[in-house]
Amino acid sequence: MLYREAGQFKATYAEDQQIFPIRQDRIAITALLLVAFLVIPFVASDYWLKAILIPFLIFSLAALGLNILTGYAGQLSLGTAGFMAVGAFAAYNFELRVEWMPILVSWALGGLAAALVGIVFGLPSLRIKGFYLAVATLAAQFFIVWALTKFPWFSNYSSSGVITTGKTEIFGYVFDSPREKYLLVLAIVVLMALAAKNMVRSETGRAWMAVRDMDVAAEVVGIRMMHTKLLAFAVSSFYCGVAGALYAYAYIGTVEPEGFNLDLSFRILFMIIIGGVGSILGSFLGAGFIILFPIFLNSYADPIAHALGIDLPPGMTSNLELMIFGALIIFFLAVEPHGLARLWQIGKEKLRLWPFPH
Amino acid sequence: MSAQRRIGEPILVVEDVSLSFGGVRALANVSFDVREHEIRAIIGPNGAGKSSMLNVINGVYHPQTGTVTYRGVKRHRVHPHEAARQGIARTFQNIALFKGMTVLDNIMTGRNLKTRTSFLEQAIWIGRARREELEQRRKVEEVIDFLEIQHVRKTPVGRLPYGLQKRVELARALAAEPDLLLLDEPMAGMNIEEKQDMCRFVLSVNEEYGTTIVLIEHDMGVVMDLSDRVVVLDYGKLLADGTPDAVRANQAVIDAYLGVKH
Ligand SMILES: Nc1ncnc2c1ncn2[C@@H]1O[C@H](COP(=O)(O)OP(=O)(O)OP(=O)(O)O)[C@@H](O)[C@H]1O
Ligand SMILES: [Mg+2]
Repeated sequence: MLYREAGQFKATYAEDQQIFPIRQDRIAITALLLVAFLVIPFVASDYWLKAILIPFLIFSLAALGLNILTGYAGQLSLGTAGFMAVGAFAAYNFELRVEWMPILVSWALGGLAAALVGIVFGLPSLRIKGFYLAVATLAAQFFIVWALTKFPWFSNYSSSGVITTGKTEIFGYVFDSPREKYLLVLAIVVLMALAAKNMVRSETGRAWMAVRDMDVAAEVVGIRMMHTKLLAFAVSSFYCGVAGALYAYAYIGTVEPEGFNLDLSFRILFMIIIGGVGSILGSFLGAGFIILFPIFLNSYADPIAHALGIDLPPGMTSNLELMIFGALIIFFLAVEPHGLARLWQIGKEKLRLWPFPH
Repeated sequence: MSAQRRIGEPILVVEDVSLSFGGVRALANVSFDVREHEIRAIIGPNGAGKSSMLNVINGVYHPQTGTVTYRGVKRHRVHPHEAARQGIARTFQNIALFKGMTVLDNIMTGRNLKTRTSFLEQAIWIGRARREELEQRRKVEEVIDFLEIQHVRKTPVGRLPYGLQKRVELARALAAEPDLLLLDEPMAGMNIEEKQDMCRFVLSVNEEYGTTIVLIEHDMGVVMDLSDRVVVLDYGKLLADGTPDAVRANQAVIDAYLGVKH
């Protein structure tokens, strides 16, 4: 079937305001979800689920959180990993100290704790912008990791601040195998992505974008700067916090504050730069790319080089990885700030006209 | 003029407003009023303080002295978002649209004050938030039809030609259903045809919705055609205030425009 909008007339504004107004897109996303829920869990190996798909989903969620703040509301942040850490350690402490609390609730509370911390560290954004704000969020990043290491209470007095998460039990059912964990994470991420999409297509999202694009004009149409920016920090940090809790519970199992260092913040920033700043889809594309690309390179760089008659020196692939990432980030920053998501969209627009480009 | 008959009491009174930037005196002891339902023009040479005056009215600038009384409430300091809440909307001399958004979304932001649902309801979408969004959309479509910009609805504003951007900015202001509309040179840089369209829109906003309008404009023909009364500023000072005809005949105004030394 051709990818076409023609003949699909939107009789009502409700139809026009759907998330996927074009029928082919709706079919594609439904198919993708069906595959993700019903096929992948049964065909993917444990290695793929554990080492690739679960982290992909969790990083997508974190990237989505950052994208809400940076891509939609225009507030650059280098504190993503810090907010994830708050989510992870708060969820751990809720689970540890409040025995009756269901695990989903402690994850949500982890997210809320991160949201509160996000609001506090978002306060400088009311005064400063851009580079200076980035520095302030950098301070958040360092402060959070420092505080979690410094006060042993947060890690229940374990040596070197390492926490080991308990089992994930919901209504008496233990999510134990990679497959079960994958499905749980998938469900959470899909729901949260949907909620994010709903926010950005409503008044909330328009206010964020208005503040991003021109703050004076935003105030003149009646948008409250403080409320809008702090809400962006709160929602963004909530997403990062839940991602952090999932990172601890469903992915790593054993984490220390240092695991949420600045490197991780940058990795997530690169995800949205490559995937697409200000795009929900871009958060997923970016996370997928940054996780899959090194794996791809590791398995195929040598064979490809061989085929070309070149011998790669040992250790070359990891350098190659850095070089390619660097080049890509510069490319996207300079040429296509909306990232892979935009390239995908351009591709679709071309396809819509294909095969008659005029 | 037929509009004259329904013109009401002053809803905006500017009293003795002075504003300086460092050494530059943008406004010096300016006083005038705006009556309900009227079209009030502000004219004057470049740098006379016209834009500064609008900025004072809706709180973008805070005057050092003087007061602005809107609907009987006297205030010294107001924030732009409070002014918006009180029913004041505006457009800017240098287009201030949200560059990364489509025409539709830009105009929808104009309705943000009419939104009642919280972000949580919007995140869940079904129910009240969805109904509200549709209701807003319906209102915005009315404005889009009124200003004849249906064909660019989904276009990112940055891609539009200048004249259309000005029109979208007016649409965003109108979407708020304001009582008082401040227009800073809405026709600047337009060709004759676009200017005529814009005049038509300004007049019908005033006639159909009864919106009070304060308009800055350089084109004297336009000012004469549209406005009920005119304020003339020069070097931050009020030079004249009256009907278009009276102002045109005023010697001080003629001198200012011809560049006679003070
Ligand atoms: N934000 C500001 N900072 C410093 N000076 C300013 C600022 N805004 C206005 N001015 C100065 O105040 C004076 C009046 O400016 P204003 O923009 O109000 O004039 P105007 O009548 O709108 O002129 P134009 O017809 O060129 O738009 C000018 O000398 C201008 O340089
Ligand atoms: Mg001006």
